Amino acid sequence: MKIRKHQSDDTQVFASTKKESWIAFFLLCIIVLIALVPLFWIIISSFKVDAEINQAGGFMFLPKTWTLKNYKEILSFSNKQLPVFRWFFNSIIVSGIHTILAVIIYAMSAYAYAKLEFKGRDTLFLTIMFLSSFPAITNIIPLYKIMHIFGWLNKLIALIVPGLAGVLNIFLIRQFMYAIPDVILESARIDGAKEWRVFAKIVMPNCKPILIAVGLFTFTGSWNDFLWPSIAINNIDRLTLTAGLQLAKGVYGNQVARMCTIATIAIVPMIILYIFTQKYFVKGISINSGVKG
Amino acid sequence: MQKSYRVKSKKKFSITPYLFIAPHIILFIIFFVIPMFYGIYASFTKWNLFSDPEFIGLDNYKTILFNKESTFYRQFWNGLKNTITFVIICVPFQIIIPLFIALLLDKKPKGRNIFQGILYMPTLFSITSVTLTWLFIFNRSLGLFNNLFGTDINWYGEQPYAWMTIVITTLWWGIGGNLIIYVAALSGIDKSVLEAANLDGAKGFKRFWYITVPTIKFPLTYTIIVSVIAQFNIYGQPLIITGGGPNESTFVLLMYIRNLAFGTGNSIAGMASSMATCLGLIIGIISVGQLVLIRRRSE
Amino acid sequence: MKLKKLMALLLATIMCLSLMACGSSQKSNENTETGSMNNEGEAEEQPQVKPGKKGSIEFWTVFTGADGSSMQAIVDAYNATNPDYTVNHRAIEANDLYLKMPLAIQSGEDVPDVAINHIERIPLFQENGFLEDYNNFIGDSPIKAENYNPKAWQMTEINGGHYGIPLDVHSYALYVNMDLYEKYGNGALDDGILTWDEIKASGEACKADGIVTIGMAWHRVKFLAAYAQLGGTLSSDGVTPDFDNDKALKVLNLWTELNDLGYIQKDGDAPWEMFLGGQVLYCPEGIWMWNNVKEAGLNAKIYDYPVFDPAVKGNWTSSHQFVLPKNEKRDAEKTKAVLEFIDFIGNNSLEWAKAGQVPAHNAIKDVAEFKDMPQAFLADENEELKIYNYKYYGYAVESLDKVLTEILFGRMTAEDGLKQAVQETKDRIEMGQ
Repeated sequence: MKIRKHQSDDTQVFASTKKESWIAFFLLCIIVLIALVPLFWIIISSFKVDAEINQAGGFMFLPKTWTLKNYKEILSFSNKQLPVFRWFFNSIIVSGIHTILAVIIYAMSAYAYAKLEFKGRDTLFLTIMFLSSFPAITNIIPLYKIMHIFGWLNKLIALIVPGLAGVLNIFLIRQFMYAIPDVILESARIDGAKEWRVFAKIVMPNCKPILIAVGLFTFTGSWNDFLWPSIAINNIDRLTLTAGLQLAKGVYGNQVARMCTIATIAIVPMIILYIFTQKYFVKGISINSGVKG
Repeated sequence: MQKSYRVKSKKKFSITPYLFIAPHIILFIIFFVIPMFYGIYASFTKWNLFSDPEFIGLDNYKTILFNKESTFYRQFWNGLKNTITFVIICVPFQIIIPLFIALLLDKKPKGRNIFQGILYMPTLFSITSVTLTWLFIFNRSLGLFNNLFGTDINWYGEQPYAWMTIVITTLWWGIGGNLIIYVAALSGIDKSVLEAANLDGAKGFKRFWYITVPTIKFPLTYTIIVSVIAQFNIYGQPLIITGGGPNESTFVLLMYIRNLAFGTGNSIAGMASSMATCLGLIIGIISVGQLVLIRRRSE
Repeated sequence: MKLKKLMALLLATIMCLSLMACGSSQKSNENTETGSMNNEGEAEEQPQVKPGKKGSIEFWTVFTGADGSSMQAIVDAYNATNPDYTVNHRAIEANDLYLKMPLAIQSGEDVPDVAINHIERIPLFQENGFLEDYNNFIGDSPIKAENYNPKAWQMTEINGGHYGIPLDVHSYALYVNMDLYEKYGNGALDDGILTWDEIKASGEACKADGIVTIGMAWHRVKFLAAYAQLGGTLSSDGVTPDFDNDKALKVLNLWTELNDLGYIQKDGDAPWEMFLGGQVLYCPEGIWMWNNVKEAGLNAKIYDYPVFDPAVKGNWTSSHQFVLPKNEKRDAEKTKAVLEFIDFIGNNSLEWAKAGQVPAHNAIKDVAEFKDMPQAFLADENEELKIYNYKYYGYAVESLDKVLTEILFGRMTAEDGLKQAVQETKDRIEMGQ
């Protein structure tokens, strides 16, 4: 059962004037172009030859010789120092599972804090929010010892579970859930629905936009984490892509072309993911139930 | 008398809410609270990570807060100053720029989704990729900027350029996050209210300030708080881009903390923990303060 | 909708598979290294080393870079001889290794059987009781002191015990662009050694043509080399740092002079890349960077690091050493096997030399191919290799790192910088006890 906000035909009732939308278009073009330049630069640099860059005095806008050599070298299967495909696989598993678990757990918690009544609810929430803003840097050693106790060191599970302790996403979802009218939930309960059903059948579907957003944030956060994986994992080939490529920096130092290749390899999966999830994403945001308080 | 529906006020104890929050709370306690309290405990000790911590009471705090001779005092205050400077310079841009772009997007120009998509993309990149990208742009002789504009700015070796490189990199990387939240928020505004305001003669900025902003108060609050916290925790960008220079002027507190705890030689985890605890308290107070301030305003 | 269902199914499958894998990796035990995805097809693990007849040896190194493949090749060669214990090479990033190794030793779990440490780390680890004394084991093993570079060997003698067997020495030397040298060098290298005065002499000519006379990178080791040449130490009594003295000032004043004269690269430029691009005449760098030079096709040679006095050479050097972490699970037999492995590497170090290192085992000197390598001359040097083994080397260099660049480019005076660095080192020593 979906909740539809009563809306008039909003695009027409208050259409931005054509002039306004063209000015916006123009400004956006400029902004986006500026934002794109670094990206373009990195990708195109990965096709350059390092030796040529140095000979040209260190700066070359377009490649003198276009080459795929950098990619071949870094992506080669026999490259035991940089097993990129393995890392990629690890990242997918770790980030994928982590995200699914996170969305479920955060949504459950957010629902309780937003819609369920229990003693100390708001105090508890404020407390965990306050606690969670503590910088996590000194958590790492005790956390490492805990991983040790559980026997999770050097295993992917160490990368999946500890991060589920976050709180900010719960805050976000909770805000969103406030917008769901209590009446709907109540009538479902009166009809005999158990709380889980109310949660799963009514609340979750109506939170799609925020769940998708949280899912994306969580996925990319997990994907891009390199500090924790490099500490918790010993075997080079159990690293995630980001942590592994961080290693690669040590291999290639200041060699511009190879470094840009590494950066590009790190970026491309994200771009592809984004292209695929864009549809859900855009649909989610455009459902007119915004992020309200 | 009508039969009152006492559905809501059934004070029967239900275990359900607890079941809902349980998974998270358990994880939170094991993987966050316990390490955190252990870390705080460590701040009252002398600890090199390997042997058992030696309790020394408030000595660490006395050193970093009051002992002017000590290196750790210098590091703590320099680090704190740099971190706060960064938060002050960066967060306003992190709010205003995405908000402005969201407003532009709200005018529904052509290609709206593409623009949004492109601007969001950098948030998906890892810090390695981002810093690599910008490192090579601001490099003095090899970089794109100097070569394109014919300038010879020593980006990493001089202020305010060093700060600029970090801020620009952070903005490029992060505005996407706030952007989509604002876009969602703006699209949820009931257009009839805006129309009414328009008819009443309130246009442009007035309309923006008095109607739009209050309506999106909550996402705005959320993003401000989150951005502040995030920038207090800044670590990777100054580390990789400027290395803390020039002259330790971009050496943020988290860098000092990490150096002490995980640097070469024996770890000075106790001192590092005390710095981290102070930082944590500051962040906590500021976050709660922001929340309270905004709550109060809205009443 | 269909796509969503498909994605959900896919994710669920992955979840199941990985849970299986997580489960199976629990079977790992102290001796054998199992791959985590042992039935998922081509698990390109770090070598699926079949344990030897009696088990396998866990070998942790810091060689995550290009060195890694070279070391791997040697390890593979060893495993191919069908030893009783095969060797499992794990490359861990240096900072991580120095964190994990002590943690492992302390907890007794997952301790490596043998590891590579930089020589500067050994005194502190030994003091903390992490390392075994080799003297208890090398008696009836093929390891003999006389087979190794004496300098590299003796520096791990601590309180009568011996704690490291050297793998190599690697120095920070001087690269010279021979083409540019012909034009600007003024025959400075005729005596085989370059002095700072000779460098200054080439300065104006280079500057006029836009060539950088000398590139300055990795200031830390450059400082340490020049400082050691003058007889300086980080600490005269081995405990208290006192490197804020005249000798240090002499070095740093030279630097600021070079900067003021404009003979070094501009602040913010990358000297090594410029050198590879043919714009720098002299560039100090590590011998391990030789492959870069080859790839750039540059006509360059390696010489000793510049000196104040031609009679007193000095190249900052470090050494990779094999250490024996205290590990209850490694019995006498395995320890013996470890020593045989170390000996094997000593006798088969050509691969390591190709990585640009100077193997510490004397056997390499007889290998013809080695003699032609640009770094070979270092194998005969002894006193010229300035190896620092100050216990608190780590603190000292980290604090120096923070000030050296600033001093070089005139943002901080040498006096202030040294004072700050010494203070920082002192404070960290005190707190790190």
